Amino acid sequence: MVRKIIDDIEKSIRETAKKLLEEGKVDLIIGYTKGSIPLRSGPCFITDASKTDMLVWNQSCDLNLAKYLAKNDDRKIGIISKGCVGRAIVHLIVEKQLNRENITIIGIPCEGVLNRAKIMVEIGDKEIIEADIEDDKIIIKGKDFNKTLPLQDYINQLCITCHYKIPPISDIILGNKKPEKPLKDDFKDLNEIESKSSKDKIEYFKKELNRCIRCYACREACPMCYCTLCFIDQNKPVWFGKTADISDNFIFHMIRAFHVAGRCVSCGACSSVCPMGIDLNFITRKLEKIVKERFDFESGISLEVLPPMGTHKFDDKQEFMIEED
Amino acid sequence: MTDESKENLTEEWKPKIIAFLCNWCSYAGADLAGVSRIQYPPNIRVVRVPCTGRINPFFIVKSLAYGWDGILVSGCHPGDCHYISGNYVARRRFAILRDLMIFLGIEPERLNFTWVSAAEGERFAKVVRKTVENVKSVGPNKIFNKEW
Amino acid sequence: MDKIGSVLVIGAGIGGSQASLDLGESGYKVYLVESTTSIGGVMAQLDKTFPTNDCAMCIVSPKLVETGRHHNIELIINADIKEVSGEAGNFIVKLLKRALYINEEKCTGCGVCALKCPIEAIDVFNEGLAKCKATSVKYPQAVPLVFSIDLAKCIGCGVCEGVCKAGAVEYDQEDKEMEINIGAIILAPGFDEFEPESIKEYGYGKYKNVITSIEFERILSASGPFAGKVLRLSDGDIPEKIAFLQCVGSRDLKRGQPYCSSVCCMYTAKEAVIAKEHFDVINPTIFYMDIRAYGKDFDKYIERAKHEYGVRYIRSRISSISEIPESKDLKIRYETENGEVVEEIFNMLVLSVGLNPPKDAKKIAEAFNIKLNEYNFCETNSFNPIESSRPGIYVCGAFQGPKDIPETVTQASAAAGAVNVLLSDVKNTLITKKELPDEIDVRGQPPRIGVFVCHCGINIGGYVDVPAVTEYAGKLPNVVMADRNLYTCSADTQTIIKEKIKEHNLNRVIVASCTPRTHESLFQETIREAGLNRYLFQMTNIRDQCSWVHMHEPENATEKAKDLVRMAVNKARKIFPLERMTLDVIKKALVIGGGITGMVAALDFAKQGYETYLIEKKNELGGISRKIYSTLEGGNVQEYLDDLITKIKSQKNLNLYTNTHIEAIDGYVGNFHTTITHGESKIPAEFDHGVVIVATGSNEYIPTEYQYGKDPRIIRQSELEEKIYKSPNELKDVKSIVMIQCVGSRNEEHPYCSKMCCAEAIKNALKIKELNPEINITILFRDIRTYGFKEKYYQKARQMGVLFIQFNENQEPEVKIANGNLDIIVKKPDIGDISIKADLLALSVGIVSSRDENEELAMQLKVPLNDDNFFLEAHVKLRPVDFATEGVFVAGLAHAPKPIEDCISQAKATVSRACTILSKDKIEAEGKIARIDPTRCSGCGLCVLNCAYNAIELQEDRRFGTIAVINEALCKGCGACSGNCRCSAIDILGFTGEQIFAMIMGRE
Repeated sequence: MVRKIIDDIEKSIRETAKKLLEEGKVDLIIGYTKGSIPLRSGPCFITDASKTDMLVWNQSCDLNLAKYLAKNDDRKIGIISKGCVGRAIVHLIVEKQLNRENITIIGIPCEGVLNRAKIMVEIGDKEIIEADIEDDKIIIKGKDFNKTLPLQDYINQLCITCHYKIPPISDIILGNKKPEKPLKDDFKDLNEIESKSSKDKIEYFKKELNRCIRCYACREACPMCYCTLCFIDQNKPVWFGKTADISDNFIFHMIRAFHVAGRCVSCGACSSVCPMGIDLNFITRKLEKIVKERFDFESGISLEVLPPMGTHKFDDKQEFMIEED
Repeated sequence: MTDESKENLTEEWKPKIIAFLCNWCSYAGADLAGVSRIQYPPNIRVVRVPCTGRINPFFIVKSLAYGWDGILVSGCHPGDCHYISGNYVARRRFAILRDLMIFLGIEPERLNFTWVSAAEGERFAKVVRKTVENVKSVGPNKIFNKEW
Repeated sequence: MDKIGSVLVIGAGIGGSQASLDLGESGYKVYLVESTTSIGGVMAQLDKTFPTNDCAMCIVSPKLVETGRHHNIELIINADIKEVSGEAGNFIVKLLKRALYINEEKCTGCGVCALKCPIEAIDVFNEGLAKCKATSVKYPQAVPLVFSIDLAKCIGCGVCEGVCKAGAVEYDQEDKEMEINIGAIILAPGFDEFEPESIKEYGYGKYKNVITSIEFERILSASGPFAGKVLRLSDGDIPEKIAFLQCVGSRDLKRGQPYCSSVCCMYTAKEAVIAKEHFDVINPTIFYMDIRAYGKDFDKYIERAKHEYGVRYIRSRISSISEIPESKDLKIRYETENGEVVEEIFNMLVLSVGLNPPKDAKKIAEAFNIKLNEYNFCETNSFNPIESSRPGIYVCGAFQGPKDIPETVTQASAAAGAVNVLLSDVKNTLITKKELPDEIDVRGQPPRIGVFVCHCGINIGGYVDVPAVTEYAGKLPNVVMADRNLYTCSADTQTIIKEKIKEHNLNRVIVASCTPRTHESLFQETIREAGLNRYLFQMTNIRDQCSWVHMHEPENATEKAKDLVRMAVNKARKIFPLERMTLDVIKKALVIGGGITGMVAALDFAKQGYETYLIEKKNELGGISRKIYSTLEGGNVQEYLDDLITKIKSQKNLNLYTNTHIEAIDGYVGNFHTTITHGESKIPAEFDHGVVIVATGSNEYIPTEYQYGKDPRIIRQSELEEKIYKSPNELKDVKSIVMIQCVGSRNEEHPYCSKMCCAEAIKNALKIKELNPEINITILFRDIRTYGFKEKYYQKARQMGVLFIQFNENQEPEVKIANGNLDIIVKKPDIGDISIKADLLALSVGIVSSRDENEELAMQLKVPLNDDNFFLEAHVKLRPVDFATEGVFVAGLAHAPKPIEDCISQAKATVSRACTILSKDKIEAEGKIARIDPTRCSGCGLCVLNCAYNAIELQEDRRFGTIAVINEALCKGCGACSGNCRCSAIDILGFTGEQIFAMIMGRE
């Protein structure tokens, strides 16, 4: 059943893309294509209507395609947008990085993508030769093993709590199944860490972030990391250390997370692309919670609402201020 | 280390706290504490900034990274900002930064934010006392293991 | 006689200071004469200000410091006027400067003398609630910070002379006569409080816990006698029940002054709210007659006081006060609104004392030969609210009539505006410009830092080991010399600093002494005189923030001082010269709106020779005042208007465009460009100008209430006025007129008071009574708001038999039309319904903003509107006619509802504010401003949102794409942009990221 829906969407993606290109409504389609290894997908850029069969749609489509929209691109672009891609586009428009008129948002409903890191933990160090998703199962074939995993257990945590399975703003919506109503996000997944002592928290994060090899894949995958020159790469002065030392790592990730405050669209691309399997999205989720609770703001859902750092209220909460007594 | 010897150590240890004060209200409030000869602990070192709005999170992170034991940021009360709304912009920024830093395990006692007006010399002294007390309660800053 | 390009300002409260600053900035030499020993007046005594609850000291002290060090303002403190001769344009004034017994030039304001003075006397600034010495300064932030000796208290022990290392004490100083020659005079002597001792019934002076509102203000203040704790005088307990009594000495024909003091309703609400904020247990109760919250956003403040803070308001005059001897509590008897007499116990009673004319008003009037009004305030008229009876002598603030801070500041600027018109030919003739050497080019040089550590007598040296700090400083990297001085700020040390700069080839200078807030500019001036860029200076505060606050731990204080010096040296190594960009000014003005406000402003610009463009959207000039025939005080509005229009049409340099629409306004302060279309055929026109005045006015509310439009007998107050003046015959058969107040004001849709409707109703009632005393007139009101001297007409109306009936907010009168009768029913909880038969019902409708038009203009000018769609000024208190965006000003009904005299004051005030720009050939931008690195900017626009001054714009750049661009003319250097910039593309000169990092890394 699930497979059928996904296949139908994939079919209409290809048809829509073909039509848009043929009619000259767009110059370029950005979508997902099959990756070079199983359970991977990659971006593809199609200008030729005859090549739209390259486009795929499945649970391995975890990248945020908004990353591939360039600021100064004057072409008309159609982009395959699951919820978080759509949100990223909206927020990028708010931040004046994209021109709404040039972009055709082709909205598709997304039921969540796979957490590959979790699968890799399950199967260990072995190489996957072939993988397929059948309804509620992931069927994995390796050199000398076969494994079937329940799909639901391997869907990204943030996809389960995702509020916006289809883009909040779109030009075309594909798939006729209305997505199920999302769970109410109460940020329960953060509770465990939040209740720990400072000492335990910092130990936990130091342990996690110690694995970082400073490859910056997180930054490269994040649709919101578009600074011309990232603060960490700046010289004169060098603000913070650039080594993979734990202090340097900790500071880099703390500030990077701060820089996506009120901007992160919870696509999870940072975590998906991390070669060390660090769940960086876990930190930015905290920021989502902060801006939601403090300023009732969610990024990428409105073109009119000002981002939280760009506005203020006289009576913003200030419970953290020192009082005299 | 026994609890007792630990206590002795804290007795001798003089925390160093960096204080970012806005020029128009809090710096003036600190001056007034002086003119009024209100005594407070000698642990803060003031960095004068035009407005709390100027304070980039880098300054706070860098201060902790460089080994300052605590931070105090003080600006104009809501409504008093010399630059109309700089303190409101700063308040949102610090609210987010502080929540994030606490989530990652930095002791909230090191991150002290407040408002002090130009007429509040007494309040400034109290705020410093409270900040020093907060920082002392969590001990020397050993969050980061090297200096830049 | 030749005109003289200088001005005498009498009184250095907020009004006098504002007038002086405006004139100083506009190219006039100003003598600011103050009778006490420091400037600031009453405002410096206040804790918070309504309706924003701003800290008074926070907002006033920068202004006072600016006044104190302005190069065109000469402060003459402790002085009185003796004699005035001459005429407008050329006066000669003799004054007497009383001896301070301390040399102003030498005194550094360190305060050791006061600390050591053995005499304990009473401190006037704290309203007698705290002690002060015979040697004293008025308050800690005083400007100028010069001490004085009160010989009446001094016992001549000689201690102060002994401890003063600066040698400033001069017991033998004598009073000095001075004579100055000026072109114009502004009187701003302020007011004196009503002294409630004279009214025995209040028990002031007899009962300890009965105090005045200004004493209560000092109690509330963090710098007051109890450091901001609300305590009562008898036992130091927190007074949980505080009663405030309104109209003490005001609206009191027998025992006080007949007029309304205008400000007490609001300051009482503020004091009640602040008391509640200090201690939640406090329950304030306010006994009042009418709540006069007539100003901009005042009603909202009262609503908050009532509903958010639970302040209890009781409309009642109390009948007796007595003290309970054991507890010192106060028993108050009063009549409730239901007519019951009750007794209630309070822990404290605050008397909301009114504003009297200054005690020496008569002396002032005599010396200046000006007329006073019947209450001994300076006489003025509605169409000339800032001109005294003698040409060339202007007045502002409470001496013209009781008023609050923004109205005082407005009038101060207005008076300055009038001086500008009078003396425009001789501006820039008496100001001095300092000749400075060329700046030494220090680019490429390694830092060579000189450090000067100050002993400040014993103020620093007594607690911090200054020699050790100096020695330590000398060893820090790039420091080539370190020296210590007894007083680094003294005149001789300035010479030493200049010599050392030369001798050691210094290219950075650090002074470790007191606070940069008061002394930085002095040292910057010194190094500039030695040829260094003034930004190659750093100051670190080892007195106010070190020696004085760690007096019992010299070792720690010394260690801290070393740290502070090291941090300053670290920063100094990273500092570089800054330039103040200069911009040409187009000396032309654009005035938007051709009502009275706009016309007054336009005329005053054109009279000074500035090319002026006056644009009006309608076909004819006059605006809303076309419907007004007289002011309450009897001024003929139509005559005034006709005269004004004639002048406008014949004035040189004045270009009038009617039937105009603004297409676009581009540019910024000094350099605006506006495109309009005008006339029936929409002819396009465009012009350049340096300033913009927004005087677009507002409209009369057209009611939907009270069956308006359903019966020809139900009319608006302005329609009644038209009948009175144009066709009084129509009133011949009228026997009874009812007026209903607050129609379309003070309700949910328009939650503000329209300020003029009470006066309009009373004016029309009086005029009708004059025509035919037999007509019965009933005015139904919520509060009668005849503030100030307008109260006289309220009293007169009552004397003439006009009936006033109060109704409550949620019990509006009912209008019944039946069988040809018009009946108005008022609900009274105590006596039941009252039904009044009327032949005419006049609705006193409010003023409403033109929302769509205001929104369009606000967008074009990038200025804000408030919730009611009136234009929002930069600062409610101290910048009442400025916008945050430089070069753009607001006046008249566009700002808020107000009567004609206020509109004229505001119009003239905008002229003065604008002249601070137009009088200059070039304006200088700040040195410490934001700077963008275009290679780093990604054009996200966050900084644009964060900037309160509209100083940043996203622009297309050929090389870098869309990037943020700073308009240096508008940037104030606050850094809100930089603090949020993720790309670190914006830095703040003088406080760069690198410099602050250097300080952070100054930790050892």
